[in-house]
Amino acid sequence: MVDPSSAWDTWLQVVWTFLRLSLFSLGGGNTLLAEYHHLSVERFGWITSSQFADIYALAEAAPGPSSMIVGLLGLGAGWDHGLGWGLLCGVSAEVAVLLPSTVVMVAAALSWNRLKEAPIRTAFERGLGPITLGILFHVGLTVLRTADHSVVAYLVSAVVCALMLFTRLSPLYFMAVAGVLGAIGIIPS
Amino acid sequence: MAAPLDQQPLAAPPSRKGLFLGMLQVALSSFGGGMSAWSQRIVVEQRRWMSNESFITGLTVARLFPGPNQINMAVYIGAQFRAFAGAVAAVGGILLVPFSLLLLIGVVYFQFHTAPAVDRVLTGVVAAAAGMALSMGFKILHVYWRDPLALGLAALTFVLLEFQGIGLIPVVLVLGPIAMALYWPRQQRHG
Repeated sequence: MVDPSSAWDTWLQVVWTFLRLSLFSLGGGNTLLAEYHHLSVERFGWITSSQFADIYALAEAAPGPSSMIVGLLGLGAGWDHGLGWGLLCGVSAEVAVLLPSTVVMVAAALSWNRLKEAPIRTAFERGLGPITLGILFHVGLTVLRTADHSVVAYLVSAVVCALMLFTRLSPLYFMAVAGVLGAIGIIPS
Repeated sequence: MAAPLDQQPLAAPPSRKGLFLGMLQVALSSFGGGMSAWSQRIVVEQRRWMSNESFITGLTVARLFPGPNQINMAVYIGAQFRAFAGAVAAVGGILLVPFSLLLLIGVVYFQFHTAPAVDRVLTGVVAAAAGMALSMGFKILHVYWRDPLALGLAALTFVLLEFQGIGLIPVVLVLGPIAMALYWPRQQRHG
């Protein structure tokens, strides 16, 4: 089953995919989720759509930045070639997605005093905000379509969305309650 | 009684190892959430690496530039002292434990996700997580509510991605510069 040449192809695909997306992670990184779904499910077929939804939920529930979902996408991409390739692709994906943004961020951190008053900073900050807003709504709908396959599931999502907006409770509670609802069979899969 | 924070002297600049361990402590402390509050407590109050003002500036820069905010903040802290090597050490410290744990969870998932019980639980958790994703846009909507130009740009971005099937990269490459031009600060006239 392990064909090293195709495993290397997968690895290259993973690294290149996340390297080129890195600098497009506006507004904290979640803006890339819909693109991740498109590439890993539809374009490359690394994982299925329902695996994508599961992975997204796991990355949100686990401690640490939820942007680490990239590591799980890489793991899924390499999984068919064996555990070793899975882990290699997972770590490589995370390094690839962080490398370009880290280089830019180091430059920004070191030159911030000069950049602070520059007109391009204002234009960047105010101009890209609305674009981020548009992307986030697209991301929300994409994840919703990927995750929910029944009216009950859509209702759960809508309630959690409202709770996120109007309460300060930790989302971990919502996921735990929804997990129990799923376990006892209230949400059709 | 201790002097107010801002008057206490700063500590010596941390080494790469110090940065790694400091960020590791931040990651472990914030397992329940609240990472930026923990990193402020550890970096500014306990270790006295930087002033609170410099820390707040870092939060601004981290949000502004591409990349996950929490990772960018670690990059900012590391870069202040050891440039790129410091940034790598800080990011390594903040990611080591949570990323290893997540990969472990991933391995368990890919091994067992076809079990019916796991599948049922995940159906619920996934629906909740989708609600969280949906809330992201609504959460920042109020910032742009009174700005018709911003709402127009957001709507155009949304339509291109959602209904025209155009990829994120071309949309940002075309609309980004246009939006920046529209929001370029006008020259202030004095007198």
